[in-house]
Amino acid sequence: MNTWAADFYNPVGVRLRDGSITGYAGILIGAFAAFLAIPPIEARSQLWPILVGVVAALFGVWTVTRGRHRLGWGAVAAGVLGIGLGILATHSAPGNLATVFDATLIGETLASATPLLFGAIAGMFSERSGVVNIGLEGMMLMGAFWGVYGADKGGSWAVGLVVAAGVGGLLALVYAFFAIHLRANQIVGGTAVNFLALGITGYFFVQLYNNNPIPAGVSLLPNVHVSGLGRFFERSVGDLSVLTWAALVLIPVAYVVLFKTPIGLRIRACGEHPRAADTVGINVYLVRYGCVVLSGALVALGGLYLSDGPEGGGQFSFNMTNGRGFIALAAMIFGNWRPGGAAAAALLFGFSAAVAQRLQVYSLQAETLFHVLPYVLTLIAVGGVIGRTVAPAADGKPYVRQ
Amino acid sequence: MSDVPVSHRQPGPVTRFALRLARLEGASAVLVPLATVILAFLMGGVVVFATQHGGIGTRVHNTLIAYNQILDGAGINWFGHFFRHPCLGFIPCHIASTNIHFPGGDIAAYNLSQTLLQTTTLVLTGLAVAFAFRCGMFNIGGQGQYLVGLIVANWIGVDLAGMSTLPHILIAISAATLAGAAWAGIAGVLKATVGAHEVISTIMLNWIAFWGASWLVGGGPLQDPTNPFDPTSSAVANSARLPAFWGTPNFQALDISVFIAIGALVTFWVLLNRTTVGYEVRAVGFNPDAAAYGGINVKKNLIRAMAISGAFAGLAGAVDMLGYLYHIGEPDIPFIQVGFLGIAVALLGRNTAVGVLFSALLFGGLLFGTTHGLAAVPHPVIELQLAPNLTWLIEGFVVLFVSAEIVILWVWNVRKKARLPGPARPASTMEVAA
Amino acid sequence: MSDELILEMRGIRKAFPGVVANDNVSFDVRRGEVHALLGENGAGKSTLMNILYGLYRPDGGEIRVNGKAASFSSAREAIQAGIGMVHQHFMLIPVMTVAENIVLGVEPKKHLLLDESGAEQRVREISERFGLAVDPTALVSDITVGQQQRVEILKALYRGADLLILDEPTAVLTPQEAGELFQIIKSLQTDGKSIIFISHKLNEVLEIADRITVLRRGKTIETVPRKGATEESLARAMVGRDVLLHVEKTAAKPGDVLLAAKELHVLDDRGIEKVRGVSLEVRAGEIVGIAGVDGNGQTELIDAITGLQKIESGSVTIAGTQLTHASARAALDLGVGHIPEDRQRRGLVLEFSVAENIALHDYAKRPDARFGWLFPGRMTNRAKRLINDFDVRGGGPSTPAGALSGGNQQKLVAAREIDRDPKILIAAQPTRGLDVGAIEYLHRRLIAERDKGRAILLISLELDEILSLSDRILVLYEGQIAGEHTGEVSEEQIGLEMLGGRERSAA
Repeated sequence: MNTWAADFYNPVGVRLRDGSITGYAGILIGAFAAFLAIPPIEARSQLWPILVGVVAALFGVWTVTRGRHRLGWGAVAAGVLGIGLGILATHSAPGNLATVFDATLIGETLASATPLLFGAIAGMFSERSGVVNIGLEGMMLMGAFWGVYGADKGGSWAVGLVVAAGVGGLLALVYAFFAIHLRANQIVGGTAVNFLALGITGYFFVQLYNNNPIPAGVSLLPNVHVSGLGRFFERSVGDLSVLTWAALVLIPVAYVVLFKTPIGLRIRACGEHPRAADTVGINVYLVRYGCVVLSGALVALGGLYLSDGPEGGGQFSFNMTNGRGFIALAAMIFGNWRPGGAAAAALLFGFSAAVAQRLQVYSLQAETLFHVLPYVLTLIAVGGVIGRTVAPAADGKPYVRQ
Repeated sequence: MSDVPVSHRQPGPVTRFALRLARLEGASAVLVPLATVILAFLMGGVVVFATQHGGIGTRVHNTLIAYNQILDGAGINWFGHFFRHPCLGFIPCHIASTNIHFPGGDIAAYNLSQTLLQTTTLVLTGLAVAFAFRCGMFNIGGQGQYLVGLIVANWIGVDLAGMSTLPHILIAISAATLAGAAWAGIAGVLKATVGAHEVISTIMLNWIAFWGASWLVGGGPLQDPTNPFDPTSSAVANSARLPAFWGTPNFQALDISVFIAIGALVTFWVLLNRTTVGYEVRAVGFNPDAAAYGGINVKKNLIRAMAISGAFAGLAGAVDMLGYLYHIGEPDIPFIQVGFLGIAVALLGRNTAVGVLFSALLFGGLLFGTTHGLAAVPHPVIELQLAPNLTWLIEGFVVLFVSAEIVILWVWNVRKKARLPGPARPASTMEVAA
Repeated sequence: MSDELILEMRGIRKAFPGVVANDNVSFDVRRGEVHALLGENGAGKSTLMNILYGLYRPDGGEIRVNGKAASFSSAREAIQAGIGMVHQHFMLIPVMTVAENIVLGVEPKKHLLLDESGAEQRVREISERFGLAVDPTALVSDITVGQQQRVEILKALYRGADLLILDEPTAVLTPQEAGELFQIIKSLQTDGKSIIFISHKLNEVLEIADRITVLRRGKTIETVPRKGATEESLARAMVGRDVLLHVEKTAAKPGDVLLAAKELHVLDDRGIEKVRGVSLEVRAGEIVGIAGVDGNGQTELIDAITGLQKIESGSVTIAGTQLTHASARAALDLGVGHIPEDRQRRGLVLEFSVAENIALHDYAKRPDARFGWLFPGRMTNRAKRLINDFDVRGGGPSTPAGALSGGNQQKLVAAREIDRDPKILIAAQPTRGLDVGAIEYLHRRLIAERDKGRAILLISLELDEILSLSDRILVLYEGQIAGEHTGEVSEEQIGLEMLGGRERSAA
């Protein structure tokens, strides 16, 4: 491992020689190449994205020669992609670009990312304790329906909040029982959870509302108004839902809990080496139950945002989540099971969804591209291109107490 | 051993799980799925019961009627009609209450034919999942592979319009099957080379296929150019449509895809049990270490198994598109269930050919009976909009119970206590930490 | 070292299905002593210690700690009683730091948060106190095995252990690291700790122990002080004079060299060098037996010869052709037959039928298959013939292999391998877990195959088997050939070499 002293003598040289640093730098530079062509920089000449993209590709080739093959080719790919997207952007009219890429896009990104953030952090807790949770989609859906139902019948969004978390946690408890006590196959069990959630929410939506949409006037999740910080801030983050802010706060909280508290250490131990945890007296079953139930409650809040938040407006529709639970799962994997990484991935995917939404008017191809981007990126990540994704070692393996 | 990819080394959770299912023999092979289904229907019944009105007696009565009506919707009562009035099944008749004229029989016949249509698709998607399981892998990607097959079949069916029927159909079906195989093959390659878990890859591929298909028919190159405001694909040319034989073609008649499905079942069985390919696939599925020791190339087989699995699902898409759908609209795509139902079909059917057949019949009946079938029942006890969700529920319970193998364990225990003859319990490597 | 007893175990009995692991075992530990538990694989040492540490419950007997009766139902209770255990397979979490691993479960807190610096501080303190140098901030995956072991010891000491159980601690260490470990043990002793040292290596035990208890096949054989014990006396106690299964055999008539390994170096799955420069030859018509305790490189040696593991350096030549890359298929085609040591995991697919298992290597060739089509009928016929020839009982060609008894499963594997007419037959632990009848059958069969001109390489943990079957004996110790014998040789001599003892020339 590099020591302080060695770095001190030739910091730049050392960093250049480290393949991983040049590789990540290459990827970032490639992303920058695309960024050049859109507001606020809005370079109009194709030359700029090409130049920057070539630089990224060079970084990539250099990384390959330093031995980090996958990372290096990833940087090259990022460079090429950056050139392509940059050129595409320079082709479109500046007015269009300004409409798509403006300050409110940030707000929409955060809004799209909210359920993803809840889901990614939720999944992370579950998997860090060693239980795979494919059922995030279903738990999110349960939160979406029962939460808005609670807000409707209970008269307040706070009731909805409690109901959503409760129902999500309940479904997670059932899943936990099957996965932990009965040692069920967790992937199959998670799939079952998704089917059940579809059935339960669909059934009771029709039953409780007599096959009508939810009547208007449901107490919605309030937005948090921030003002006085200038036009840019007002337009970007000035009017976000309370749950969006909660999700953002959740990220550092999750980090602290998982990496800075004793319980976080124990959770991670259960996910890496449950037998070692057991031999030092940790109750592996209890820790896993707790984490799975927590994950259900959290992701259900993300679902509540969908139905009772600014986008949903107090409405529910069959299969409202439409894959967001899986995108959250993908974000967690892409972020390597770390809160920071998962959050970054969730924001990236949220950005992708928000852009897709706006591009709808201009180009269906581009819209589809951005819808598909999270999944493609995750495939690439799983393929080990951008470094290895390392799951907790005991993730998905039922633990048998002797 | 360097030959076996690290992620596939010791019999992991999925492999043990799949082998336990496929190894059920004799009475267990029937009892376990039967018990699972009954249990799942019971749980579904509880939900229906809870949401009925009236006293307990009325509720139980209504729940039973609801199931009966679903069965009627599936066309099961056709058998009753057939045996009581053999001619009725085929004499054209006019149903006064619904004001529909059925040229090929009565409404039960129509329902049954539709159920069989669904069954056909489910057999194929079920075989897809089952085949991958036999090699120790979980192919959740049946949905995406089905969509890919659907789209490719539509494309070929529309574009090569000038051909004569037989080659056109053959080309369309082959292309769709190959496309499905390739789509699944991506996941197989990722698994064999970098050890990426096939569940994650196939889930991602599912959604890529979903959005890709939505774009292609909704504003993309496959959208019908004569209707620019309707996001639906063009209709498949007549030369590519599969011939039908029971019912009216305009009313989604039963086409020869039934025979294709039966052919697929036979192919599945033959492939697994009578070819070297099947031998290798099964060996790798049961015990990758012993397979490597035996000289089998484990990585090659992982890719091959996923590809074959995807081929079945792609074929399902082809058969549906060319058999009765003929076109597909963007709003329809999110409501397609058959890929996911294939998972339940395979699991309930213990990943065997016979099991998949019966399981597909059950779910086919359930699927149709709770959607369109119920529409023709005069006074449904259970609301029309509620019923499809019942399918999801029952499907969910089936998969849940199978995941924990609790029914298997229960049946085993019962047999042990009653000292019934049965096969030796498979040598399961319990995950006792060393 | 005082005479006060910190631990007494009397009359311990523990049985598992099919085997009595501990049969009325008694021993005790004095405060401040290093007490070695010596025995071969399967002698019952690990079981005894797992009982002490609360991981198993004994079927009978009693335990006294510091004079008080004790019974532990979990590791936690044992830890609270002051007993700490360093397992052979470490209970460490590779992605966490040394300090995190040590304080796991008893973490120091600062308000609600983990007191990381406090943890590091405390770890530094005890590591200095006991002379166990480790870097608290290092990741466990980054440190050497020897350092990992120190972390395990520190884990026990951190929780206040007075009695430390070390289970085969030098199995994973290099000689230098083993030396360092002994220093540590001595310094722990001066600190008043008592140590139970489980091992099968004579030289180490004689170096470090104050008293030595020898176990064999679940029974206590003797407990002796170090003074007066010699390697020979201990070897005799460990290996014993059991009834040798005598097999009738004529003298061997060795022919051409069919298997040759030169300066073979093989790494195991974790990258540790397990075969460190082995050269050997096996000729047609002879049985070469490799004796050695499990874990000294036998598995990796076999895997290299059969193409299942990569050869780092050196060469393997089979009947003149060199095996260049790791391919089981290539080795099989060159004429290597392999009866694997783990018949259930490697040798058979238990869910397949007997006939399908017999076809495991050659299912794709004639007569079993043609152009990819299988002929189960032909497989069945071949299976019937082999079942007859090898007297495999418990089922017919369509019975699943898992339904057969161990002995018949092994016969099945042997039948398959021998029927392929290999030039070289490698038999690894061929009679493990078998009854006397099956053992006798297999021994006679191996001799018969030798007489037909095959080259047979026999690897076994059972010394008797090696002695009675082999024409030539090689002893494998820590990845190298520690001795080679032709003709008459005593058990003690082999035993000595197996356990790392010094070589004595034959009288």
